[in-house]
Amino acid sequence: MKGGVRGAVLVLALALPMQAAGEEVVIEPPVNGSVSREDGLAAWERIYDVTSHPRCANCHVGPDNLPMWSGPSYGKARPHGMNIDAGESRVGAEYVPCQTCHAFSETGGNMGAHAAPQVADAWHLAPVEMQWYGKSSVEICQQLRDPEGNGGQDYIELAEHLGHGPLVSWGWDPGGGREPAPYSLQAHIDDMLAWGAAGFPCEDDQGGGDE
Amino acid sequence: MKLTVNGVEHEADVEPEMPLLWVLRDELQIRGPKYGCGIAQCGACTVQMDGIAVRSCQIAAGDAEGAEVVTIEGLGTPESLHAVQAAWIEHQVAQCGYCQSGQIMQAAYLLDMMPEPTDEDIDKVMGGNLCRCGTYPRIRAAIKAASAAMKGA
Repeated sequence: MKGGVRGAVLVLALALPMQAAGEEVVIEPPVNGSVSREDGLAAWERIYDVTSHPRCANCHVGPDNLPMWSGPSYGKARPHGMNIDAGESRVGAEYVPCQTCHAFSETGGNMGAHAAPQVADAWHLAPVEMQWYGKSSVEICQQLRDPEGNGGQDYIELAEHLGHGPLVSWGWDPGGGREPAPYSLQAHIDDMLAWGAAGFPCEDDQGGGDE
Repeated sequence: MKLTVNGVEHEADVEPEMPLLWVLRDELQIRGPKYGCGIAQCGACTVQMDGIAVRSCQIAAGDAEGAEVVTIEGLGTPESLHAVQAAWIEHQVAQCGYCQSGQIMQAAYLLDMMPEPTDEDIDKVMGGNLCRCGTYPRIRAAIKAASAAMKGA
């Protein structure tokens, strides 16, 4: 994990509002090490509630490249209808591009039930290294803190990523009767920063546990 | 706004959020693309936009401005049919025909992308285009025939 000095400097640089699909969010990292392991684990539990939620996990799928339809809107979990296979490109380039239905929409669109949701970004699956669907809390925790699994991002960069993407923020405003991801985007960003500032604790860490 | 459809530039006085399908059918009188469900569940409205098959009921007119839109009317001509259109006639694919312009536009995209598709490829790429008459075996046969014809051309 990168040093606390950088985090402190970024408090000044990042305590500015960012625009994420209409929602303003603030990246205000706590000083590195100022969050206890207990509070960090509590933040992680809320992060896991988000990462395991269908609005996020349905497109964070594994190497079969099949987006999922799961959650209260869908009944029994199943792969995306219409025989969709997003391919190794993760954008459907090999078969039916995601954008065939999830079109780029400058203003966001398709809040109607059962319509293909749209955002001002190219619809896509998350990288296969970021598989969350079917993974446990500990597995996702270890994945997100591993620089090789998370694209080499520290916790501030992870929070910035959350604040930038229209596709990410769509999860909290999915429309169409779909259940939104829990908490809020701002709360999720704050939890990511708190978890990072606590040193990325996971439940099964050596010498750790629920102290 | 200006929309380029089948190589012709059109001026359309519409709200930018009007679906492209509405603009094509009601404003430009281009009625090959069909309204089926309006929510990207059936594929009857499929056109190509900048070479990619899209559901025109899902595209806001404002987002199509500046793009090259091709409908079934622009795929081939009666004198020079696209290989997919010719194969469709050869195999007498259509029954009621309502979904077929969407099927053909999707199949033409498939063969642009993948000149020799397997049955599995066809099922994956055509899986979002529904046919209530169940012409799927003839669709598959026509795609194979068009593939062979394009290879020999």
